[in-house]
Amino acid sequence: MRYSYHRPASLDEASDMAAALPNARFIQGGTDLMVRIGQGRERPGHLISLRRIGELTTIDANREIRIGAGATLSDTLAHPDIRRRLPALAQSLAALGSRQVRNMGTIGGNLCNASPAADTAPPLLVYDARVEIRNGRAIRCLPLAEFLLGPGKTALQAGEILVAIVVPDPPEGTGSAFIRRGRVTMDLAIASVAASVRLNGGASIAIRVAAGAVAPTPRRLTAAEAVATPTDDWSRAAIAAREQIEPITDLRASAEYRRHLTGILVRRALTMAAAASGQWSIDR
Amino acid sequence: MTRSRHVGTERPRPDAADKLAGKAHYIHDIAVQGMLYGRIRFSDHAHARIARIDTSLAESVPGVRAVITGQTTPEIRFGLLRDNVALKKDRVRQFRDEVAAVAATSPEAAARAVELIEVEYEPLPAVFTPDEALAEGAALVHETDHAGRSRSSNLLPLSCRHLTGDIAAATAASRYIVEGTYTVPRIQQACMGTSGCLAEFSPEGNLTITAKTQIPFLAQRDFNRALEALGLTNRNSRVIVPAIGGAFGTGLDTHAYEFIAILLAWKTGRPVKIVYDRREEFSCLSPRQEARIRVCQGCDDRGRLTFRDVEVIQDNGAYTSWGATYPNVMLVTATSLYRVPAVRFDSRIVYTNNTYCQAMRGYGNPEVTWAIESNLDELAAAAGMDPIAMRLLNANEPGDLSPMGLKFDSCALRECLDAVATSLRTSSSPPAGQTRVRGTGMAGLINVGGGGKIYRSDGSGIILKLDDYGNVNVAYGGVEMGQGLHSALTIMVADALGVRPERVFINQTDTATCPWDVGTHASRGAFMAGNAAVLAATKLRERLFALAERVYADEVERNIARIGQSERIEAFDFRAARAADFDLRDGYLAPRQAPDEAWYRIELGRLLRAAHFAERDPAIFTEEAFYEPPTQLPDWERGYGNMSASYGFGAQGVEVEVDTETGEVRILRLVAVSDIGRVLNPATLKGQMYGGIAQGVGYALFEEVQTERGRILNPGFTDYKVASAADLDFPIELRFVETNDPHGPFGAKGAGELALAPTAPAIANAIYNAVGVRVRDLPITPEKVLRALSETSRR
Amino acid sequence: MRIPVRFELNGHAVEVEVAPDRTLLDLLRDTMGETGTKEGCREGECGACTVVVDGRAVNSCLFPAPEIDGTRVLTIEGLSCDHGRLSRVQQAFLDASGTQCGFCTPGMVMTAVAFLAENPAPMDTEIREALTGNLCRCTGYVQIVEAIQLAARRSRDPQA
Repeated sequence: MRYSYHRPASLDEASDMAAALPNARFIQGGTDLMVRIGQGRERPGHLISLRRIGELTTIDANREIRIGAGATLSDTLAHPDIRRRLPALAQSLAALGSRQVRNMGTIGGNLCNASPAADTAPPLLVYDARVEIRNGRAIRCLPLAEFLLGPGKTALQAGEILVAIVVPDPPEGTGSAFIRRGRVTMDLAIASVAASVRLNGGASIAIRVAAGAVAPTPRRLTAAEAVATPTDDWSRAAIAAREQIEPITDLRASAEYRRHLTGILVRRALTMAAAASGQWSIDR
Repeated sequence: MTRSRHVGTERPRPDAADKLAGKAHYIHDIAVQGMLYGRIRFSDHAHARIARIDTSLAESVPGVRAVITGQTTPEIRFGLLRDNVALKKDRVRQFRDEVAAVAATSPEAAARAVELIEVEYEPLPAVFTPDEALAEGAALVHETDHAGRSRSSNLLPLSCRHLTGDIAAATAASRYIVEGTYTVPRIQQACMGTSGCLAEFSPEGNLTITAKTQIPFLAQRDFNRALEALGLTNRNSRVIVPAIGGAFGTGLDTHAYEFIAILLAWKTGRPVKIVYDRREEFSCLSPRQEARIRVCQGCDDRGRLTFRDVEVIQDNGAYTSWGATYPNVMLVTATSLYRVPAVRFDSRIVYTNNTYCQAMRGYGNPEVTWAIESNLDELAAAAGMDPIAMRLLNANEPGDLSPMGLKFDSCALRECLDAVATSLRTSSSPPAGQTRVRGTGMAGLINVGGGGKIYRSDGSGIILKLDDYGNVNVAYGGVEMGQGLHSALTIMVADALGVRPERVFINQTDTATCPWDVGTHASRGAFMAGNAAVLAATKLRERLFALAERVYADEVERNIARIGQSERIEAFDFRAARAADFDLRDGYLAPRQAPDEAWYRIELGRLLRAAHFAERDPAIFTEEAFYEPPTQLPDWERGYGNMSASYGFGAQGVEVEVDTETGEVRILRLVAVSDIGRVLNPATLKGQMYGGIAQGVGYALFEEVQTERGRILNPGFTDYKVASAADLDFPIELRFVETNDPHGPFGAKGAGELALAPTAPAIANAIYNAVGVRVRDLPITPEKVLRALSETSRR
Repeated sequence: MRIPVRFELNGHAVEVEVAPDRTLLDLLRDTMGETGTKEGCREGECGACTVVVDGRAVNSCLFPAPEIDGTRVLTIEGLSCDHGRLSRVQQAFLDASGTQCGFCTPGMVMTAVAFLAENPAPMDTEIREALTGNLCRCTGYVQIVEAIQLAARRSRDPQA
């Protein structure tokens, strides 16, 4: 027996367990953690399951869109408000893993895993998402950009639980899109880009761009946003994006190719987002 | 043999229902009373001296029954050159070398114990490419051969070459000449079911081993040698083959894990099972070779080939499997795909401290076809010719005797090329967006289709056993590993004998009950099994008809008594029926001249019972046959000999779309036209083709075992990518030009391997056609395409 | 520490104790002795271990066994009808030649069963998307897609 397994019924109970048990880890869908445990890359003494805590799985889209961290990727993808109002997030969820993984994995898990290639992160960054963290009985909030600190590293302190991701409703007229590339369909991203665009006539009035798999964390590309304009076919944004990333070479692609590809994807994502602005649809 | 009633019809496979119900038993699913779980400790170095192994901590783990090392067990030597041993005693030569092993009562205890084995190494200089290995002063991977003779180079003592004609003169006489070097990576067979075995000794020291093998009888020989190494002389190994979760060449050799299971079972006196997990399968099982192939071809002003010069250098890794004989099969394509008057072929295989390699589907042919068919396209471009026209101009014809001495008694390469060309000419919709460019390409192929003789016998035995109820139990030593052998065999036995396929049952492959077979490889299974079945069935029919002479009249009288009289009975004088008058069809014996009259038909089971319970000369019916194809074991020094009874041909065409901004290649459609003789079962044949093409697409575009100084970097499906259904979302058109091969059973030729041979060059040729760049290094990643595009635009 | 779990396996109530560090795959294969569900990678990549939990296809190799408490589990063994007859999806795989070595087959079939329940009239591309979590090295997937289409057609028209 490598570890023991606990199933608290409430967040309070979970927090108390985490405080009491040495070398404990929270587990939600398990699609990342169980792999790492199986490979011996992680050796927890206790797993504290958050699956029985119903409040973690609710998706509330009344005003802001509040996604419980324990909502499965499938449920999040299937939610009509998310498909309609956050199409880039829906696109990233549709591209994330297999159906089996989406049926188990959760959006909170995707963020807590803190992979530089986390697919949901670029769209959530573009949508200015923030995260709700439970610390004992207290709640704190952070912008997502401040939550993701590095590969496998988040702002969560020991015993803290990510409870929800809160996304402001994008203003009317915002178009957004997500593109990713892997070596094949089922692959960690070589590069991924999300963009959102709100146009007023020919002039852009709000541009957001974020990229994944090309820096230690998924990140907003503010330099690209600053120079982005449809009048040059988004070319300056593409060039600026390439300067603002720090890609590495690994067995999926070289840094050089990632840099080049990110520029192309930024231009294409902005083009798609602009085309979608004024529409509300996941369909391209 | 009778006419074919079931051959050529689409039929479900006999093994499908069990597999679909989850009832097929793979090695993973087999457990026996008292079974222990074996696990292996692998090397942490590419090349090192083993200074010390301490197993004391491992031995103290509860549940552990044995911990063994090379020091504590007899040496079991194996491999094509006998250069490998089951447990390494003093030196490791690759990361996956087996240094110790554990048997325990649970997999968890075994895993824990293996981690606790302490091994100290003294690293040695290592070589990781053939160039490094052949350089002056390079570290020797093996300082001595298996017999202890000292070695002076890392070059393997395996030679395979060919020379026909005068290459220099042909070069001088050529109007166009193109030379290129083409490389292929190591790739993983990536069987969905990982490797494993279960070894068990009887108290007398006889071994029963359930093994994931394609060569039960050669494995039996290897295991018997292992028994001798254990001091168990005059003992036997019985090899039983479970359901196999894909093999693709991995079962063509015996493996260290099998010998280690034997050692553990012998030591503990208990059954021991070793099953690889996915990481072990990727990092500790041998992949397909990495190779570099230089090709130079020339043609005259009309485009007729004048010569072909091929040089292969293969990275063997640290030990030698049958896979080292890839050049023997490469010779077929190098000398004989298209008519070439002058051919030179040379090959070198080099030891390195990389993982050692083994067979994979196609066995050298995908590699050499990649090089030759890419180069041929380049030659056509240099000559300003349509590459399809050039292929048609040089196509092989029936009756040809190739430079290697291959004899093409059936050959429809021209028809295949023509059909692919026609299909590619149909226009498709224009590309979406200005950065996407479309193009088409094709490649042809030849593949052995009537065995491939690289061993003293290329034969197959079969036993057909009839029971009292008209069932046919078939004992055949070849292996069903998913390819559909049992389906083909069922249909052929049914037709050759004259029974319904539902009455044919194929036994589990077992060296104790099945006659000898060299192994299931080289697309030979259905060809050999069918020929053996026809031989045995012919003998059985003769015996049955001779028997019928004695009992037929009585049986007809009984029919008449049951059914009643009719004047039509007089149409045939059943009392005077002779053996030559009979036919057996759909399990009924009847006279040829009145096959459908109920009075004259005797159900086979009834006939057999009449023979069995006869007062005079009672008999039961079992018949065996051994088929040895009319082939030659080639002289490898000369590269000459007709190694296969028949040859399959074919061509594939693809249309691709290249994204010139990202370098991505999307396949829009693929057409494969093949001459594999007569089609036995269209359903399973199509499965072989689709599956081979899928592997070909992976080989072409993304599959690669990545290594760093001998260590495999992507040992799992997360990092090593095989195609998923979404990656193959394009139409595949399959067509068969049905020749009737004179040597094939029912005119069929082997079909297992040829599908993936031309896929990669067809894709590369289509990319060239689309955007004018040539990638000569597999896999063709977006990055390589983009680099080639930017180099072209800079020029 | 062993954890008691109660769940429904293929329509039958099950009460067992599981070790906390076991997965659903271990529970099915080792504890229940139901070996139809296969282990292909233990990393959630290949899908050979796919089973249906509460109507959804999951990788049983990543599913912590203690979490099975209170669920309904359907595996390949639960599909066959009376007298071991193949179910509609299995029969379609048989008729369309959707299996070769068969190792991926149980997982493939379970994904198909869950998918067809959601989408009874799929397009080929949707089927291919649904199968991305089930690797097959033998078939090239064409006849698997055809098998799933055949099953879908037969659910609308049993004579198809």
